[in-house]
Amino acid sequence: MAGSSMKDINLRIKSIKSTKQITKAMELVATSKLTKAKERIKKSRLYQSSILSAMCDIIARNIDTSSVYLMPRDVKKSCFVVIAGDRGLAGGYNGNLLRFANEEMLGKKVCVLPIGKRSLDFYERKGYEIISDDFAYVEDIDVGNCHEIADVLTEGFLKQEFDEVYIVYTEFLSALSQQPVIMKLLPIDRNICENPVEASNDYILFEPSSNAVFHSIVPSFVTGMLWGAVNESLTSEFGARRTAMESATKNAEEMIDDLSLKYNRARQGAITQEITEIVAGSGM
Amino acid sequence: MSSFHLKIVSLDGLFFDGEARQVSLRTIDGEVSILAGHIPYVTAIGAGECRVYVEGADQIRRAACVGGILTVTKEQVLIAATTFEWAENIDYDRAKIAKTQAEGILSSANASDHRKEVARNKLTRAKVRLKVVDNSKVRL
Repeated sequence: MAGSSMKDINLRIKSIKSTKQITKAMELVATSKLTKAKERIKKSRLYQSSILSAMCDIIARNIDTSSVYLMPRDVKKSCFVVIAGDRGLAGGYNGNLLRFANEEMLGKKVCVLPIGKRSLDFYERKGYEIISDDFAYVEDIDVGNCHEIADVLTEGFLKQEFDEVYIVYTEFLSALSQQPVIMKLLPIDRNICENPVEASNDYILFEPSSNAVFHSIVPSFVTGMLWGAVNESLTSEFGARRTAMESATKNAEEMIDDLSLKYNRARQGAITQEITEIVAGSGM
Repeated sequence: MSSFHLKIVSLDGLFFDGEARQVSLRTIDGEVSILAGHIPYVTAIGAGECRVYVEGADQIRRAACVGGILTVTKEQVLIAATTFEWAENIDYDRAKIAKTQAEGILSSANASDHRKEVARNKLTRAKVRLKVVDNSKVRL
């Protein structure tokens, strides 16, 4: 009967409309958070580049390169810092990252420092060795937390608990494309200095010594890198969520259009039938 | 008095970009002061108070400054600190709470070494913050 189907269609339209409201709201929230996270990346760049250039200066000038932070050693165990999101509904954001991390871990003895709820849940479920579960919420991470993480990593590295440290995060290429990437944090990769400074003749005084300076800025460097990666990941997450929610909203709109058409047809059908019945009943 | 260009950055952004007569801060090796015409110099920053003597202003700007590097080049003096907070932006009560909490952890018997280490760092930072605020009150 046309009447009941009209009611069904109406109900579905209503439910899709409320879903659309949610996806639309999530899209807007993601957009505003995206702008903030982008701002944070911009703000932290200057700090990172200054630390990096100081480090490169020291590496380039220093003849004595026996620093533990620079020397690659036999890898018995690797530590992976994996930054994922706290929540789903962001398209393939979490899935892509965790799959990528798994491929990179292949054939290595690893321990994991997960950042973000999804990452922690995943590695807990799989039974990986987890260094710390204090950083479950990536959205709440602040500079102080990055300090703590950097301390944990450098300390573990110095105590030889692990022999290399990687960080896996999602790089924000544009609002439409994000890509999981891996970066080696420790031991420090000399190639990190993009344009190697030639050991210039300019004299620079390092106090107390270039080695001491180098050693004490490595944790600062790691902190900076972590903070950058966290923000890059957050930006990517919001970007991915915005895109996912945008298309969800669009789909909902299409469905509503389609259902409205069906509803109108059903209504027209019902009216036509009624008229036919009346005309037939009047006996003309 | 001659001045130099001073730039202060941290992970939270740019804090100072202008002319200064003198800047004093604590490095890992002790207190240093930089004046105009210093030779190229690089050192690692410890935990302590940073005082900026702004050119053309009488008062000294104080800040809590922890970690990072100080770089002096011919063109400018750059402070890239992991934590940098001007005295007026420091949350005194929060620092006080942090101090009490950290002391609590340090004096408890069952806290792990790692927790104690973290608490020790927090305590240092809280003490620096409190000191900076106290100093700026006394000498305003």
